Amino acid sequence: MLSLLRCVPRALGAAATGFRAAAPASPLPQLLQPALRPCLRPFGLLSVRAGSARRSDLLKPPAPCSCGCGALHTEGDKAFVEFLTDEIKEEKKIQKHKSLPKMSGNWELEVNGTEAKLSRKVAGEKITVTFNINNSIPPTFGGGEEEPSQDQKTEEQEPELTSTPNFVVEVTKSDGKKTLVLDCHYPEDEFGNEEDSDIFSIKEVSFQATGDSEWRDTNYTLNTDSLDWALYDHLMDFLEDRGVDNNFADELVELSTALEHQEYITFLEDLKGFVKSQ
Amino acid sequence: MSLVIKNLQRVVPIRRVPLRRKMDIVRGILGVKNFDLGIICVDNKSIQHINRIYRKKNVPTDVLSFPFHENLKAGDFPRPASSDDYNLGDVFLGVEYIFQQCKENEDYYDILTVTATHGLCHLLGFTHNSEAEWQKMYNQEKLVLEELNRYTGARLQPLSRGLY
Repeated sequence: MLSLLRCVPRALGAAATGFRAAAPASPLPQLLQPALRPCLRPFGLLSVRAGSARRSDLLKPPAPCSCGCGALHTEGDKAFVEFLTDEIKEEKKIQKHKSLPKMSGNWELEVNGTEAKLSRKVAGEKITVTFNINNSIPPTFGGGEEEPSQDQKTEEQEPELTSTPNFVVEVTKSDGKKTLVLDCHYPEDEFGNEEDSDIFSIKEVSFQATGDSEWRDTNYTLNTDSLDWALYDHLMDFLEDRGVDNNFADELVELSTALEHQEYITFLEDLKGFVKSQ
Repeated sequence: MSLVIKNLQRVVPIRRVPLRRKMDIVRGILGVKNFDLGIICVDNKSIQHINRIYRKKNVPTDVLSFPFHENLKAGDFPRPASSDDYNLGDVFLGVEYIFQQCKENEDYYDILTVTATHGLCHLLGFTHNSEAEWQKMYNQEKLVLEELNRYTGARLQPLSRGLY
């Protein structure tokens, strides 16, 4: 069974809006007419009793669950939970790595929610690589001229989603005063064509004070878009010497994809628990 | 104009600066420094794929050249009609194949340079489909590499040596 939630941009916001749109309409006009004889029952109950035979079930407000928890459990919630149960099961089935893959090159990994930090020391230098898996899956576009045949479509599985996050490399020398910060990206082509691009590229370079958690806009930032190619090559070789090379970049994609999938499943489980709320 | 080096593979570590330094000298010797040139490093799988598509040979190889000026005769200089034409094309280096072929006493970056020079000569219209054509190409490569050897102290020999 295909994981439908993974095939399309995750429009949880739209789904929630759609769910919230199923609110009850205002009472029918005839119910506001005064009763013909005095009645001791509260107006609200009277209107329910008077109109219930004529009201459509669609207009009935969702009633609190009889389980006594006090939360709102609608038929929609029940269907949602059932859907999520199936979805979680399928996602776990296709989960490539049950635990996060290890990076070669003695990198230590720290994970804080969606942010991961790899660090190592090379001859007195500290190198860290930080990335965030949020919004790290580029959209996949269908081909124009090369639409698969119907047979191919039924045989082919949905394309695997990979996470290609931007990553920031920080290099601090042993004197520790300044940190060289290099913002690196994976190639992004709206047609999904990455054939002639480097596996990763350096986009921006700047110095930041070591240990400064705040990014300083007043520090000069080198943008590589129009940078001399010889200087760019020196920067790439600089990273290569510190273990940030094509091999590292490919392994980081594996790690990021595994982490993203893990977080996605956890999110689905949390969502199921929240909607169920028992 | 620019020499752009790209590394699309992870099998063989490639240092761009030494390759750039030598190819910049080669471009200067050939008099084509004002033309754009692409050198793209790929692995066996990729170069085999390209070889299959463009030459119908389903095997990896050391170098494939894609000239911008397609009808150039050996020894002729490109005549750009506009600024967009200051482009020689792309040389795909099968770096994994080259690494596998590299002998123990050979410097890998010397072999990369020799191979890239051979590819660059192809972009300038040189071929080795016949003995006469090969002779022209061999002479051109020899000229360039002898000059390069004077700069670098290396003893590089043309890739087309021994083809005929």
